Amino acid sequence: MGLNRKTAVIGSAVLAPFSGDDRSLEEILYEVSQQALKDAGLTMDDIDGIVVGSNDQFDGRAISIMAASGSVGGVDRDILSTPSAGEHAFVMGVLRVASGQYDTHLIVSWSPLEASSLSEAQRLGADPYFHRRLPLDESSAYALQAAALGARSPVAHELAEPICRRGRENGAAAGIDSSAIPTHPAAGHAHWPVKEGMMAAATSGAVALVIASEDHVRERGIECPAWVRGMGWATEAAFLGDRDLAAAEALEEASRRAYEEAGIDDPRSSFDLVELTGITPFQELIAYDALGISRRDDWKADIQSPRFTMSGELPVNPSGGAMALNPVFCTGLMRIEEAARQIRGKAGKHQIDGANLALAHAASGVAMMYQTVIVFGTNAEGGRA
Amino acid sequence: MSAPRVGIIGIGQSAFKPRRDDASYPDLVREAVNLALSEASLDLDAIEAIVYSLSPDAMVGIGNAERLGVDAVGGRNKRFLRINTGGATGISSVAAAYYHVAAGACDVVMTAGADKVGECGDSQTVLNKIWDPIYERPLPQGTITMLAMSGIRYADKYGMTQEDMANVVVKNRKHASLNPNAHLRKEVTVEEVMASRYISWPIKLMDCCPQSSGGGAMILASERYIKENRLDAVWITGVGHCSETYYIGDRMGTGYTADHADAYALRNSFERAYRMAGVTDPQRQVDVAELYAPFSNTEYHSIEAAGLAGLGESVAQVNEGRFSIGGEIPVNPSGGTLCTNAIAVTAMIRVAEVALQVSGRAGGHQVKGAKLGIASGNGGDHQFFGTMVVEA
Amino acid sequence: MELLKRQENWNITYTHALGEIASWFFVQIRDNAKIYGRRCAKSGRVLVPPRAFSDQTLEPTTEWVEVGPGGKIETFTIVYEPFHNLPEPPYAFGFVQLDGADTAIGGFFKGVDLADPAKAAEKLAVGTRVEAKFAEKRIGDLTDFWFEIV
Repeated sequence: MGLNRKTAVIGSAVLAPFSGDDRSLEEILYEVSQQALKDAGLTMDDIDGIVVGSNDQFDGRAISIMAASGSVGGVDRDILSTPSAGEHAFVMGVLRVASGQYDTHLIVSWSPLEASSLSEAQRLGADPYFHRRLPLDESSAYALQAAALGARSPVAHELAEPICRRGRENGAAAGIDSSAIPTHPAAGHAHWPVKEGMMAAATSGAVALVIASEDHVRERGIECPAWVRGMGWATEAAFLGDRDLAAAEALEEASRRAYEEAGIDDPRSSFDLVELTGITPFQELIAYDALGISRRDDWKADIQSPRFTMSGELPVNPSGGAMALNPVFCTGLMRIEEAARQIRGKAGKHQIDGANLALAHAASGVAMMYQTVIVFGTNAEGGRA
Repeated sequence: MSAPRVGIIGIGQSAFKPRRDDASYPDLVREAVNLALSEASLDLDAIEAIVYSLSPDAMVGIGNAERLGVDAVGGRNKRFLRINTGGATGISSVAAAYYHVAAGACDVVMTAGADKVGECGDSQTVLNKIWDPIYERPLPQGTITMLAMSGIRYADKYGMTQEDMANVVVKNRKHASLNPNAHLRKEVTVEEVMASRYISWPIKLMDCCPQSSGGGAMILASERYIKENRLDAVWITGVGHCSETYYIGDRMGTGYTADHADAYALRNSFERAYRMAGVTDPQRQVDVAELYAPFSNTEYHSIEAAGLAGLGESVAQVNEGRFSIGGEIPVNPSGGTLCTNAIAVTAMIRVAEVALQVSGRAGGHQVKGAKLGIASGNGGDHQFFGTMVVEA
Repeated sequence: MELLKRQENWNITYTHALGEIASWFFVQIRDNAKIYGRRCAKSGRVLVPPRAFSDQTLEPTTEWVEVGPGGKIETFTIVYEPFHNLPEPPYAFGFVQLDGADTAIGGFFKGVDLADPAKAAEKLAVGTRVEAKFAEKRIGDLTDFWFEIV
């Protein structure tokens, strides 16, 4: 069923990567929040509520969202937080606005590089009962996922390189200079079959979005909002051994729900662009299938054709996606921010002309455990503009 | 936009204990989930979405431990996210579940979680890491010292004595003795509290909550679903959240927004919840309250922030029995956080207990004729405050 | 039945960036034994410790102001219980509003006999005048100074 009230993204900002020396984390959060408000043409006084997402183990702070109280503008205001994923903060914000109790929300997520080892921080997520003794960080989980996919669809190994290349080229065209990105020395290495260079090294990032109700958008006469036309989210099981790693059942469920709300029957031909989360090219393939934009049998033809390039029928990751820039904990929310930015016509160098309907996919957790799908449109409802 | 009604149709809570070596962390979550499902006569298939209630990961020693809880709550391929606002997490999770239904996203939502505070060794070691690493963490801060410092300011401002603090303990322990799920159920006297050793002046051992293990779960549903299925429910009619500055030192001096003596943002949070529920005179309208107060002194400023007594007036009224079972507005008839604290679900249990009270199912600690109850949760460094109004 | 347990340690080191404002503040403490705050131009309040922005006005702070070394106790506690990885008790610490500051900064209280809790607490009562004292060897951290009753 659809939500009780329509919500739109009306402003956003990204600092990724951010310089890690001249500003403290709180100063970064202040800056990114103020920039997003400015982009929306609002001040903090216009904001009814805040939802933030961050990770204690990456931040080196217990209840790391506490840092958001003053920096994001939360003093004397209403704050919730979703440490499960940055994109869950967006979901929660939309639900709060749709409930009718809030007109506006500020959504913020961040991912610093202050831990001595991200890999070690990630390994603390393995349960101490069965799996903690295994070297299970995100990179190794990505590799297990890639191996499972390769076993089912051997063509994946062949397609990995061209997918990476497209992501890097898009990123470069969008202005991301990958050679200049400060990365983490101990972020985790490539594991077979994910080859060296197939993943962007982990970097820092902070992202903020301002969302508003249809009433607020109308009353303020806000131009070019990116309407949330459909929203779905779902989780996989926790243990990798309980999952079909070559597929993404939870993403199928999340997209089914989002498409139903948005009235999308044929995802392959409906969107003007897709921003999806593929930390590895193998994840990108799994996402194509689960999102219904390219089924397994079509992968080879679609990737060898210009279909998913900037000038193709369905540009995938015009921003370059996680292939070009991977600020670990907020990568998923950045896809949502990018898709909304495209719909608002503010994507700059990598703007897709006439983008009316965009698909955003965020994935977080071990090997895409949490799946979130948002459909954005230039119109609040109905068909294409 | 008027708020759609959201009902509570199922509640599960463990009998809280100091340790639960018989159950893993997800086992404890499942225990509470099963209790809630059985009370609502539902199976897991009926649950459309889950809000997972978990405060700092380090407290259970598992990074993003909510992932391990997915199967315990039957979350596979369902809408699932986790909430954390520190000690307020439990009530923030109920609020988040409320918004799922109020937004029209689903008809039936469950929130669940558990904690094994005893397993992290020393919760104050973990909790020292909640402060910013630049200015306030270099000091040996913990949640006990933080609230001891609130007590010092409250005592200085309003004249609370340590005997007054002990009175809160005596009241809540007596309440807990009537509640089979409470962790500390032994009654104590003012003399015993006064004789217990100092932990962090003016807080003594018996002024402190215990480190508890156990789980909690609640099932919320839309009015339509409740009517169609002819279910019994109580209703969440008011929800509020409000925050204070991160810095303890900013809650004193001159020109501050909040005084660390009081619970400024808790008051604002209650005002929001009351406005939504149409509560204009809490002293007359509220029948029962479950207020998050992990240390005896903090119950005083919480009662005042809830508008149940004027600033500085709660001390005399606790002494007079106004907030005891049998009194005018019983506060923490379950024994409250002071007698049971499984951090991830403590503030959820506040809502659950109020729901039990207004539905007349609180058993030995039932407040007679309770129809409207309030609940609160405090988290971070006395920073995030969640509140709720629940009505029969 | 036999119930097993397993011990696990979390051991990650974090290198937190202090940023320009906190860096300058700690360098002044380390090199000159002076404490500075930042003034919020909008409210006029002096924030000590200094922040780059005020969380009340959400405006950047604009000016350095030297504060202290005198001040008054805003709150305190005396800890008698040992906690893992925290100092050996007893110790007293709390927050002091330094002269010229609008907010309070944390620090240890030294020079007070803590053996008798009630007597010690009386000496540290809210409003008591104190002065910041600096360690001879300073590293640029909050514990480079402490407070003593005047």
